[in-house]
Amino acid sequence: MNDIVNKVQEKMGSLTDLMKGIWDDSLIEYLVHTPTTKDALMHLKYWAVNQANVLNFGRKLVSKVGLMGVKSILENNPWILYLLKSDTLVRRLAKGKTGRYHESICVLGEALHLGITELLEEMYFDPSRLVIIEDMLPPDLFQAMGLKVYNLESFGLFLPMLAPDSVLAYIDEAENAGVNPDSCSLPRATIGMVKKGHLPKGLAIVTSNLPCDSGMSAYSYYRRAFNLPIYHLDVPFNFYDERAEDFFVKDLKDMIAFLEQHTPGRMDWDKFREMCINRNRMLEVELELWDMLRVRPAPLAGEAIWLSHFWHYVVTPGKESSANYMKILADLAAANLEENTPATINENYRTLLWNAPFFQFIDIFNWAENNYGITILMDSLSYNHYEPIDVSTPESMLKGWGRVVMQGPMVRHNRGPAENYIDDLFRAYKQFDIDMVWVANHVGCKSSQSLNGMMREQCRAKGIPLLMLDYDLIDPRIVSHDSMLRQVEHFMDNVMKAKKLGQ
Amino acid sequence: MQKKDKSFQIFNQLLESPQNSLVQEAADSGRIPIAYTCSFVPEALLMADRLFPVRLTAPGVAGTEIADNYLSCMLCSYTRSIFEYTLDDCYDLIRGWVFVPSCMQMPRVYDNLNYLKKPAFNHIIDVPRKINDATVGWLTEELGILAEKLQNTFGVDMSDTSLRKRIDDWNHFAGAIQALGLLRKKNTPPLSGSDFHSVVMAGLTSPKDLILPHIETLYRKLENQEGTGKYRARLMVVGGHLQDPEFIKIIESQGGLVVVDRFCTGSIPGISPVILNGNPLRSLAEHCFAKTLCPRMMDSFDRRLETIIETVKEYQVDGVVLEILKFCDLWGVEAMPLVSALRNEGIPVLKLEREYRTSGEGQLRTRVQAFIESLGK
Repeated sequence: MNDIVNKVQEKMGSLTDLMKGIWDDSLIEYLVHTPTTKDALMHLKYWAVNQANVLNFGRKLVSKVGLMGVKSILENNPWILYLLKSDTLVRRLAKGKTGRYHESICVLGEALHLGITELLEEMYFDPSRLVIIEDMLPPDLFQAMGLKVYNLESFGLFLPMLAPDSVLAYIDEAENAGVNPDSCSLPRATIGMVKKGHLPKGLAIVTSNLPCDSGMSAYSYYRRAFNLPIYHLDVPFNFYDERAEDFFVKDLKDMIAFLEQHTPGRMDWDKFREMCINRNRMLEVELELWDMLRVRPAPLAGEAIWLSHFWHYVVTPGKESSANYMKILADLAAANLEENTPATINENYRTLLWNAPFFQFIDIFNWAENNYGITILMDSLSYNHYEPIDVSTPESMLKGWGRVVMQGPMVRHNRGPAENYIDDLFRAYKQFDIDMVWVANHVGCKSSQSLNGMMREQCRAKGIPLLMLDYDLIDPRIVSHDSMLRQVEHFMDNVMKAKKLGQ
Repeated sequence: MQKKDKSFQIFNQLLESPQNSLVQEAADSGRIPIAYTCSFVPEALLMADRLFPVRLTAPGVAGTEIADNYLSCMLCSYTRSIFEYTLDDCYDLIRGWVFVPSCMQMPRVYDNLNYLKKPAFNHIIDVPRKINDATVGWLTEELGILAEKLQNTFGVDMSDTSLRKRIDDWNHFAGAIQALGLLRKKNTPPLSGSDFHSVVMAGLTSPKDLILPHIETLYRKLENQEGTGKYRARLMVVGGHLQDPEFIKIIESQGGLVVVDRFCTGSIPGISPVILNGNPLRSLAEHCFAKTLCPRMMDSFDRRLETIIETVKEYQVDGVVLEILKFCDLWGVEAMPLVSALRNEGIPVLKLEREYRTSGEGQLRTRVQAFIESLGK
């Protein structure tokens, strides 16, 4: 009898936890706790837009592949169900934010929803034109060839933002197959997804020597697993000179020829020009935004800055919508600046995040903001020195686009000499009037790990407070979320001598 | 096992120090030792005029505590070991350093070296990661840049004539090593895998002209000898950087005979003659790509796989031992499809993870023993 009672109590407890979890993630709970009614209505508006986008995508999917096709896609790609948590992600990012800062997160949320549905369309709607590309290669050039394209690693990065445990089974799959467990978890997750057949095949693969050894080496496996022709782009070690740029342009031309040989894709230079113009517009707007971030307190911060950049430059570059979204963010920042309204009234510590962000614990930024007034104003994946692409000729466009790739996030930092990584940090530190630096010390990133000693010493010499936050990019089992929070608390307590807000 | 030949002692002795007696002798006579760490560095170019190449080793490294502060304890132990020795001034004779972005980790030794030691000559050759006409052209230019820098820094003759002469010397050295290596094709090779590895490593860490007479003497002794034939299985070792012959010795202590070596510091195809075809720099560039089979080369997985399969047949190998340095991402990731492909070809494979310094002997012996037994030998 006691056993039965205990079991019932246990079940009731689990049910309670489940119900609480559902409530905590729900829209209603969020709306009940928004700072103002205006925020609630704003959020509801964007929520409705996002649902409409999702439903529209659902309608298109059914019409394209039929109900049985949808069933087949879901069976072969079960990770897609995690995407239903996209709404929850937006709420988690927006929690505690108000006014235009809150609105900027809603705008980002709309961009994420639209971008994901568009990416899924690329992946599943037309396999006869589908090409797989490596994550450091922007899709726009390939789209200009009339191809459907997806970054093989994209969901390995995005899914952990929605649910931290979403790719663990894939990581384990790769390790069980013999991949070294100390390599970066992103290639391991991707290998696992490919091994289980949970990613669509396409006609060809284009990869590169970016951003790191694990990511690059994995393509020997993918080529054999998919049994597809493959092209490798090769970025030189020193890529800031004319010689390297010319070399890479030749490589890009050979790549285009390869794709024209192996796929129905044909280069449309007018379309590519249009995409480059959109990129230039996006760059111009982003630079305006960055100028505004230099003001203390900043008019926008956090994911509105770094996640927007990541999304629009890596996942959806070259689209008019991306430039438009960035313009909205810049306008929101400008309006805040005009009214002397900060993103958050508690901007106590302006922070620079260096190295790949905590994709599997994205809530840490909100937690830091709400608990200590720590605002992330810039990160290394966003920070760049891009110049507008000269759209006058195909050659000049390839050169400009090539520069974007060669100087891309993680690329110029992990590849090439240490100056690319460290000098950039100090430059951003000054540019944005930063108070402290967080290094996202991903245990699998050997290139950045081997610069930590040098960075530590140089930051100490310059009097820059530096937090080396140990974590794993997408595997929360390596360093728990709790442990990550403790590292921040310890740093704030011992180095910054800061108490939590309200203490 | 065959009776120990005292001729191997000289090679083993040369491996005891990171700057052996021959390096000392050459440096004392005014020659210029240039350190390097990667098989993509064309040794012949570093042999020009008074220069001589020294492949960096860290024999007897006890720990890497100081290096870990800068490079992190989660980097491959080879990079950390040589950096530790660098910080300990164990390479005080070295006048110049030449690196390759072999992987993500080795260039950080270059960076940290620049940061902490600020050597007078520290250079990275930007070796491309795929092979075609454009990349051979690029590497040729890179070698030209290096040659010019060496000339300007050390006042050495890097002319075509000088390079051709040194290519000739390298070919002589490579020929001697290859001749020795071919003896291992015999059913009863007159030398063990660990002995051969000692010779190769001594060759890579010494001035070629000074080590060559010893190699040739050894060859003359062994050429018509036969080994005892007391072994259970013929093995091939494949993998990354392996400098300590002790590792192979432990494998062979369990009845395996390592008859061929397909790793970074091995002879297949690592120590092969340069085919001189017109421009010596271009010939060296082509040679770099031809002689080095490394997972850093994105487009050459099939070539690496086929080379192993062909070599297995050529040397009548019973099984392959794949050794991977812990924290090596290139081999760590490539091993997965490689092992699978080899096993599909019916080639038994034992995959071993190791550190730069040979350790875990007991475990190693057990695993090798079990592997050999699984071969039915």
